[in-house]
Amino acid sequence: MPKGRTVWTGIATAAIFILLEIAALSMLHSSSALQNIWLNRFSHNVMALTWGGVEKVKNYFGLREQNDILAGRNYELFKELQHYKELERTLTAMAKLDSANLPPRFNYIPAEITAMGTNSRHNYIIIDKGSNDGIVPGSAIITPNSVVGMVYAVDKRYSYGLSLMNERVNVSARIGREGIVVPMRWDGGGTNKVVLGDIPLHLDIPAGDTVWTSGKSKVFPPDIPLGVTEGLRVIDGAVGIVDVKLFVDLTSTRYVIVAENPDRETIENLSR
Amino acid sequence: MKDWRFWIVFAVLTVVQIILCNFLDLSRYAVLSILPVLILMLPLRLGNVPMMLISFALGFAVDFFSTGMLGLTAAALVPVGLARNSLVYALFGDELGPREGELTLTWFGVPKFALATLILCSIYFLVYVVADAAGTYGFWAGALRFLISTALSTPVCLGIARILRPE
Repeated sequence: MPKGRTVWTGIATAAIFILLEIAALSMLHSSSALQNIWLNRFSHNVMALTWGGVEKVKNYFGLREQNDILAGRNYELFKELQHYKELERTLTAMAKLDSANLPPRFNYIPAEITAMGTNSRHNYIIIDKGSNDGIVPGSAIITPNSVVGMVYAVDKRYSYGLSLMNERVNVSARIGREGIVVPMRWDGGGTNKVVLGDIPLHLDIPAGDTVWTSGKSKVFPPDIPLGVTEGLRVIDGAVGIVDVKLFVDLTSTRYVIVAENPDRETIENLSR
Repeated sequence: MKDWRFWIVFAVLTVVQIILCNFLDLSRYAVLSILPVLILMLPLRLGNVPMMLISFALGFAVDFFSTGMLGLTAAALVPVGLARNSLVYALFGDELGPREGELTLTWFGVPKFALATLILCSIYFLVYVVADAAGTYGFWAGALRFLISTALSTPVCLGIARILRPE
């Protein structure tokens, strides 16, 4: 038999086989509900496979266009991610603020330290928020468990502050929840050491007491935990001072909160 | 004359198969069918297309007159019809030339005949069990039904082959 004829015979045989099978399955399809469902399901699977295959081929040839779209989308997502990172930083700072139970008479603005001097006795801080963000001179720079300094001058986008590691900064502190109120200052002893001055000699100040901000200040909010006492020292037989170990090493602080007392001017006017 | 005898026995055995389908209920895992051997024993001069058409007609007749589902046996028997000629030439090719006759059990020997019957029964029951189950059997239940039915039908088919062409 010639080769061409054999091929055509083979094709005709295959076609007739398929036709007969289709005829048989069609009869089966209409004669039984169970087989009807089964054949329908089979048919749907074949259709899904076929159209899925066609779609894959189309996708393959459309990859260049998809890549362009993805590149654009990638850029948009990158910008969006930066925005959310910024938001997250703010929220983290705000969450710390909430956990600190700070009283509501202060306005709080989260900020990040962009520069900090630590090498002199008059150290400074620069934060990334300025007058555009509502920062005013005289505001406190704090964290939920430390005082970092106070704002001295503001620019539109940045603020300059005096660090707690600056001899000009005094913080009104209380020893224990109900203890005496004394001034706290940095004496150059270390980045996590301060001292409490003007301690009456007749008082016994045990080591390990927590030191808090007193609230008797128009700058610093009350009840911020600062550190723990390390014992009383007597200077020249007349003045008692207490060493305090801060909860936070000031040089490792990155995120801060600026606390602004809106009634500060009123209080200043009253105290004149 | 021999052809007439063959076709009469063929028709009688078709009726026997219809009766088996209607009244023989062995088990849900066992189906007895002699149809593969009826297709195997068809005259060798028939080509693939006539083989498939006869298989379809035979399957349709069995479906129509039995309590089974219309199209089930036809769907299972058409592949048997398609495979018959290829199988016969593969297994008996060298012996068919000088003989120029029809297939008989005694001439070609039991082992080859049994193998041919087993292969055709397997093709038949493979399609039959899958289509009949319609996805309601698990794999192992279907496999068990396929194996039991093939194992049961193959020896019966060998006996039927001797009846169809006694020689």
